[in-house]
Amino acid sequence: MTFNSGNSSIRVYSRKFAAKKFLLFLLIFILLASLSPAQDWVRLIINKGTPIRLAVPDFKPASNDPQTAPLNTVFNQTLWNDLDNSGIFEMVGKSFYPLQTPGSPSEIKLDSWANAPVNASFVAFGNLGVNGGKVQVQGWLFDDKNTASPQVLGKQYSEAATPENARLIAHRFADEIIYRLGGGIPGVAESRIFFISARSGHKEVWAMDYDGASQEQLTHLNSIALSPRISPDSSRVAFSGLTGDSWQILLYSLDLGRLVSFPRYGGDNFSPAWSSDGSKIALSSSMRTGDPELYIADSTGGGAKRLTSFKGSDVSPVFNPKTNAQIAWVSGRTGLPQIFIMDADGSNVQQITKEGYAVSPAWSPNGLALAFSWIRHYGPGAPGGQDIYLMDVASRQFVQLTHDSRRNDFPSWSPDGRHIVFQSSRTGSDQIWSMLADGTHQQQLTKNGRNSMPNWSYK
Amino acid sequence: MQTYSIFEERERWSGPILVSVGFHLLLVAVAIVGGYLGQPRGEAWGGTASGSAVQANLVSAVPLPRQQEPTQNILANESPGITQSVPEKVKEEPTAIPIPDRNVQRKQQKTAVTPAPDIRRPVTPPNNNVVPYGQGGPINISYGAFAVGSVNGAFNFDGDFGTRFAWYVTVIKNKISQEWHPGEIGPGAAGHRAFISFDISKEGAPGNVRLEQSSGIPALDLSASRALQRIDTFGSLPQGYSGSYLHVELWFEPPR
Repeated sequence: MTFNSGNSSIRVYSRKFAAKKFLLFLLIFILLASLSPAQDWVRLIINKGTPIRLAVPDFKPASNDPQTAPLNTVFNQTLWNDLDNSGIFEMVGKSFYPLQTPGSPSEIKLDSWANAPVNASFVAFGNLGVNGGKVQVQGWLFDDKNTASPQVLGKQYSEAATPENARLIAHRFADEIIYRLGGGIPGVAESRIFFISARSGHKEVWAMDYDGASQEQLTHLNSIALSPRISPDSSRVAFSGLTGDSWQILLYSLDLGRLVSFPRYGGDNFSPAWSSDGSKIALSSSMRTGDPELYIADSTGGGAKRLTSFKGSDVSPVFNPKTNAQIAWVSGRTGLPQIFIMDADGSNVQQITKEGYAVSPAWSPNGLALAFSWIRHYGPGAPGGQDIYLMDVASRQFVQLTHDSRRNDFPSWSPDGRHIVFQSSRTGSDQIWSMLADGTHQQQLTKNGRNSMPNWSYK
Repeated sequence: MQTYSIFEERERWSGPILVSVGFHLLLVAVAIVGGYLGQPRGEAWGGTASGSAVQANLVSAVPLPRQQEPTQNILANESPGITQSVPEKVKEEPTAIPIPDRNVQRKQQKTAVTPAPDIRRPVTPPNNNVVPYGQGGPINISYGAFAVGSVNGAFNFDGDFGTRFAWYVTVIKNKISQEWHPGEIGPGAAGHRAFISFDISKEGAPGNVRLEQSSGIPALDLSASRALQRIDTFGSLPQGYSGSYLHVELWFEPPR
C-alpha cells in the first residue's frame, strides 16, 4: 500500500490489516496530508528544488606516482560526499555506471550515461595525477542530454600533494558544480563550523570542516568558553568566556591565532551575535541591571546601546542576516523562555512562540525562517523532547525537523540556507550533527568528548 | 539496689488509640457520605452536555406592566372602520422608449431566437486550446514545455540558447519551480496560463519582469510574478554565451 502526500511517500507492507493498524495508517496519512502545505513553504525557504540526477564516476589515475592512489581515494570520497550533502542532487549509484571510467572528454560516451540504467542528467568526471610533488586534477561537468555542446564546466587544479589538498580540490570542484547547477548559490564545501568542546578537559572553542573533518582546538582559556560566533569575514570568533569573576565577550583572531582586545563590560555578558555586514555585535549583558538585557554595539565593542528593558532575562540575540534590521532573541518576560523578534532599534516587539520552552533562535540566510529549539509541551511527564523546529516568520507556520526524545539544541544555518548544524544528545552524549534544512540527511559530525553550541561560518 | 523504670508506669494507650482510630474512621465516613450527598447535581456552566429545553411557568405574582387600553386611533386599530384606504394607482403602460441596456438587449435577443429545427446537427466540442482571457495576442506555441515538481510551464529563448545551454535552462526551470508557491493560488486555476517575460543579466540576476498575457486569474498572475521576484540570481550566464543579457519568456500553468 502506498500513500503519497506532496513529496512524501510511505510504503507500508502489511500482512494483517487489523483495524488498529488501519486506523494508525489512516492517522499517519492524515498527518502527512496536513503537512503538505508546510513542506511547500519549507521547500520554498531552503532552495532545495527538484533533485538533479548526477553521476560521479571515480576520477581516473593519471600518473604512476605511489601517492596517486591514496590521494585519488581521498579526492573521490570527498567529492562524492560534498555533492551528496548539497541536497540538490540525486546521486546515481556507482553500481549502475559503465565499466569504462572516462578520464577526459574524448573518453566519455554520453549515450551510456544518459540512457538506462544510469539515466543521469549530468556526469562529473576527470583525472588525478601526482607529478613533481604536486597533485594535479582535471575535472569536467557534462550535460548528458545535450550531445551537441555537452560541456558545462571544465576546471584544472594544482596543489602540493597532500591529503588535505586533495580534499581542498575536491571541495572546490564540488562547489563549482553546486554553484552552476544550484542556481548561482555557492556551495558550502569550503565552509567551517565553530563549536565548544570539552575533550581537552575544559570547554574551549574548536573548529572543523563542514563535514566534520580537520577538527582543531582554537582557544586555551583553561576555564569555560560558550557561544562561539564567527564573524562574517571569517577573521574573528566572538564568544563568551569566564574570566576571573565574570563572563565577558572575548574575540579570537583566526589570522593572529590569539585573543584580541574587546571591551570589558560590567556584570555578566553572554551570547554575542554578528550582523551580517560585520559592523555590529548584539549581546546579552547585565552591565547596568542585574537582569540580562540585550545591547547592540559596534564590532569593536564601542557605543553599546540597550535594546530591552523588561523584567526577565533577554538572551541569545541573532540578526536577520538579510536585512540586519530585525533581531530575534529569547526572553523570559512571560515566564518560560519564548522567542521574540523586534526591530534592531528595539521597537516593534512581537512574540513568536507562545507555549512551551523555546530557545536558541537562528535566522535563515534569506531572512524568511527561524530555526529554534523547542520543548512544545513543557513540564514533568509531558510528551516529546527538545527538538529543532523551523518557523516561517511571515505566516508563523512551523514544522518539526528532529523527532527524538533527547535534547536537540543550538541550530545554526549554513551560508547557502540548505543545511542546519545543531547539537544533539541522541547518542547519549552531546555531539554536533548536521541535516538538510527540511530535516533529512541527518549525520553526526563529532564523536570525541562532549561537543556543543555549533556555529556555521558565513562562507 | 532495686531500680524502677518510669516507662514501666505509663498509662495503657490501647484504649485511647482505639477511640482515636474509631473517631477518625467516623470522620472519613462522614466526609465521604457528605461529599457524595453534597455533590453538585446537573451540568456545570460551559459543560460538554448538550442543551435541553427549559420549562417556563407563568406566574401571577410578578408585577407585569399594565395592559394598554386599545386606542381608537384608526391607524392602530385592526377594524377597517368607515374610512377607506387610498386606492392603488393603476400602473400605466410605459410610453417612453427604454434606454438600451446590454442585459435587456440580450434578453430580447434570446427571446427572438427560434430553436434550430435540425436537432440532429453535430455539436462541435469546445476547443481546449482557446486562450481563456485576453483573446489571443502575440504569444505563439513554439515553446518547449516542461513539468518540474508542481510547475507546468514552457520556455522560449532568443536564438539557439535553449539547445546550446540546455543545462542553464534546467537551472532556470528548477529555480522557478522551487520559488513558485502554488499555495498562493486558489482552486480553479488549473488549465489557465500566465505568460511572463523577463531578462537575465550577465551576472544571473533576473529583471524587467513583465506579465505578457494574463491568465484571467489574478492570483495566478500575481504568484507567477512573485516567483521571479523571490529569485536573486540564476547564476552567471554561461561563458560561451556572447549576449549581454538573456530574454526569457515562459508560461505558468498550475497542475490539474
